[in-house]
Amino acid sequence: MDDLSLTRREMNQVLNSGGERPAPSLGITRRTFLHRSLLAGAGLGIGAHGWFPLINTVDLAFGASEFKFAWISDTHLYPKSVNTRFVDTAVRAVKEVQAMSPPADFLIVGGDIGQLGDPVELELGAEILKEVTIKKLYIPGEHDWYLDMGVAWEKLYGHSPWAMDHKGVRFIGLDTVSRAPDFWTIKKMTPKERMGHMAVLDGSVAGAWAGVGRDQLAWLDRALANWPKDQPVVLFSHNPLWEYFAPWNFWVRDWRDVHEILKPFGNVTNVHGHVHQVLYNEIGKMRSIGMLATSWPWPYPPQGVPALSPCQTRVDPGDPYDGVGWSRLTMNAKSAVDNEYVMWRKDVIAQAPWDSGCGDNGNQILSPRIADQDWPHYGAYK
Amino acid sequence: MTITRRAAFAMAIVGLLVMLGVGPKDALAHREKHTPAQLKAFEELFMEQVKIGDLLFHGDEATQKRMNVSLTRSGMACAMCHPFAADVHPYEFPKFQEQMNQVATLRDIINWCIEKPNDGTKLDLDSDAMKALEAYLMWSTRGSRVDPGRH
Repeated sequence: MDDLSLTRREMNQVLNSGGERPAPSLGITRRTFLHRSLLAGAGLGIGAHGWFPLINTVDLAFGASEFKFAWISDTHLYPKSVNTRFVDTAVRAVKEVQAMSPPADFLIVGGDIGQLGDPVELELGAEILKEVTIKKLYIPGEHDWYLDMGVAWEKLYGHSPWAMDHKGVRFIGLDTVSRAPDFWTIKKMTPKERMGHMAVLDGSVAGAWAGVGRDQLAWLDRALANWPKDQPVVLFSHNPLWEYFAPWNFWVRDWRDVHEILKPFGNVTNVHGHVHQVLYNEIGKMRSIGMLATSWPWPYPPQGVPALSPCQTRVDPGDPYDGVGWSRLTMNAKSAVDNEYVMWRKDVIAQAPWDSGCGDNGNQILSPRIADQDWPHYGAYK
Repeated sequence: MTITRRAAFAMAIVGLLVMLGVGPKDALAHREKHTPAQLKAFEELFMEQVKIGDLLFHGDEATQKRMNVSLTRSGMACAMCHPFAADVHPYEFPKFQEQMNQVATLRDIINWCIEKPNDGTKLDLDSDAMKALEAYLMWSTRGSRVDPGRH
């Protein structure tokens, strides 16, 4: 058994011991999943592929009035002089959020606004987001951070973590990106080199950079100390708060500590970015929903796709509007939160294995990259 | 008559090898057992190409400059959609590629990705950069089941 499998087994033993899972009120049922193809009667393959949610309903018992909020993340903007493709998709998402009727109570921007942390990119993001007039909340992504260690980000978008109570729900925004182990000082990297390594998803130099950190864990513990254990908690983070696929930092390295703090709470939902794909899981008592990017979709990793998760349909790489989008979330009066993936081209969820981002990879065996381990030759290989 | 033809054919082959600067001893090289040192050298030569391909695939500017190629003008790199070379499926080529409306080779689709999503300049099909990219993709997915034509 390889290291990843061992770690994943450990995670299941720690978090799912004693049959622990989200409260019954959070249970997944077929009723809570709706999809256009079902409504149209195109049910072929449903039995074989489980859930096909266009709307992913998470039931939360809190009994407040209905409200909506929206999520946009992973816009990965370059300066307009380099690339307008990502600008166009970000602008479209922003216009659609602003056009929501009834309007959303707030927009959460889940990080990776820029691609290389350039202040020009981050300022472009702020300019695009000006069109949204509802309340905006922000958490950082690694692409926003490692050119100047968050200076431009915090100046434009404020500090994380934060907590906000809204209509009976405690919303928390975490910073899961800024606490990378220092891989740059000993190698005398320039800020651009540091950022370059952070910007490569499958790079090996930056290592396990995603984490909550001891100081923020202590803050989270305090932030939840006075919150009733049966009241809903929604955590926003750039990275998923469980181990999905560590080599791409589809995790936080201190997930054990996070879940130790969350353990007493029955209604916990994590909404996260970074994965650029449809993703759903239940870990311990927590539910976790991955969001689409507006920039480009990531493939599913070779290991770790949760059995509970539907798989996104394969996309056309020649179409900048395929496989990307944003999310419209509703906390409704029936004590439920609905997540609707707003993907702009075809159906979000695969209808057959040959059209599935997971099912298409049955014969695929992958290896980690190798060239970036050749320090100091990286970038100047002869 | 047949023997004469065979002899003439063999002589033509040897002659061709001599013209190409390959002596008779070299032409029979594969009849000799490989030494561990040779195998190591072969492996190192191949892995050098893999590493060059890895750097090109990940958008390394210095490597592109050195090889006089421009794989992107949009900031996109191949690895941005294909970490660990995922979802490339190089072992499925040749296959019908919808975007190109033709049966495409791996090198064809590499060039399509360079030209379309990346907005770069396509490579000569037999160029060093193309061979390096091919080496990286095949090495990254080694062990996968060869399945040409699968879509």
